[in-house]
Amino acid sequence: MKFKDYYSTLGVEREASNDEIKKAFRKLARQYHPDVAKDQESDHKFKEINEAYQTLSDQEKREAYDQLGRHSPGEDFRPSPEWDSRFWQDGASQGASAPTGDPTIDLADLFEQMGFRSAHQGRSGEAAFSRRGQDYEVATTISLEDAARGSEVALDLDVPEIGLDGTMHRVSKTVRLRVPKGVIDGERLRVAGRGAAGIGKGPAGDLYLAIRLQPHRLFKAVGHDLYLEVPITPSEAVLGGDIEVPSLDGRLTLNVKPGTRGGQTLRLAGKGLPKRKQGSGNLYCVLQIATPPSLSDRERELYQELAKLSTFQPRLHLQDGQQGDQSNG
Amino acid sequence: MAEEILLITDDDQPIGLDELLDASGLVHDDVIELVAIGVFQPLGTASTWTFQARTLHQARRAARLRDDFGLNAPGMALALTYLERMEVLEGRLRELESLLPRP
Repeated sequence: MKFKDYYSTLGVEREASNDEIKKAFRKLARQYHPDVAKDQESDHKFKEINEAYQTLSDQEKREAYDQLGRHSPGEDFRPSPEWDSRFWQDGASQGASAPTGDPTIDLADLFEQMGFRSAHQGRSGEAAFSRRGQDYEVATTISLEDAARGSEVALDLDVPEIGLDGTMHRVSKTVRLRVPKGVIDGERLRVAGRGAAGIGKGPAGDLYLAIRLQPHRLFKAVGHDLYLEVPITPSEAVLGGDIEVPSLDGRLTLNVKPGTRGGQTLRLAGKGLPKRKQGSGNLYCVLQIATPPSLSDRERELYQELAKLSTFQPRLHLQDGQQGDQSNG
Repeated sequence: MAEEILLITDDDQPIGLDELLDASGLVHDDVIELVAIGVFQPLGTASTWTFQARTLHQARRAARLRDDFGLNAPGMALALTYLERMEVLEGRLRELESLLPRP
């Protein structure tokens, strides 16, 4: 089993009081909590912080942890037989050793199981000990096309499970999940009763799937709406015309009105992402006027001729004494 | 093992109070207070409350905030309100960013 230094994770001394431990945890949580920080690195960091806090904030677990002795983080170690008999095999235990030889069980699993066992033993006089199974939380990234059509995802779960007799093992399983059409980025889906099995009469936990949408080459999704940047030529902007744009259901024709400004948005109703039950978001085409990177001699001549001829004064309102005289619209 | 395909819980299906409590880890008093403050909006009368499925996600978040930051119900309500407002604003920001030319 690999050693983890829970004290250094929380940045406290080994002699820290319970209050200092709680304060250290809160301070780190304020920075890395999943409801505060959204990046994956923080998420990972918070899991470590939380694991350390779950053990050190519980007197019994903290004592057991302290008695494991000092090791370097990551060092492979086995608890002594004395530790095993003191913290693991007392009470109404089945006499089994702590599953520390099992390479799939880590320190967090060990302490979690300890908590479970003590709850179990503490209530051994009652008819049966029940506990709701843990929830599983997984994330998956799907493409925009799959979000629109609906898809199936395969999730690889590697989860600790505690049997009725208090033994723990890690199980790897693959579950397939049908993701309905119409999911959006950041959405959380729930599959009731498909988390870890409950203990005793406790119900099973739930499975939660967080949806992330892969960034698309062309479309940007905001909820069910899609945004597409559409470059047009200066002549198309001035003269107007029909242009073709891509959409999730093939190519569409868009009518650009004469005198279109850069940044103007055209809405194609119902051509965004479909919603779960009915209807769809919109596709917004954001028109941007592109200028040719190079010109032929003839093109340059024509532009020069046009420049001489044109009476258009777009900056009139910026001239002294002319404020407000002409709108820029 | 037979291949099994799991289905998502229907979003339209309202959930009862017991399910909300079980699945979120909130206690009854928390829910009563969060309803009184107006963060949760149940349907029906106090004895037959049902909640929209999205309330469960709020409730789970509230329970996390309670456990990890020691918040009481008014604190949970305030944090939920701010977090939800931030999410609305982040959505609005993404929308406005989508209107800008790509760099």
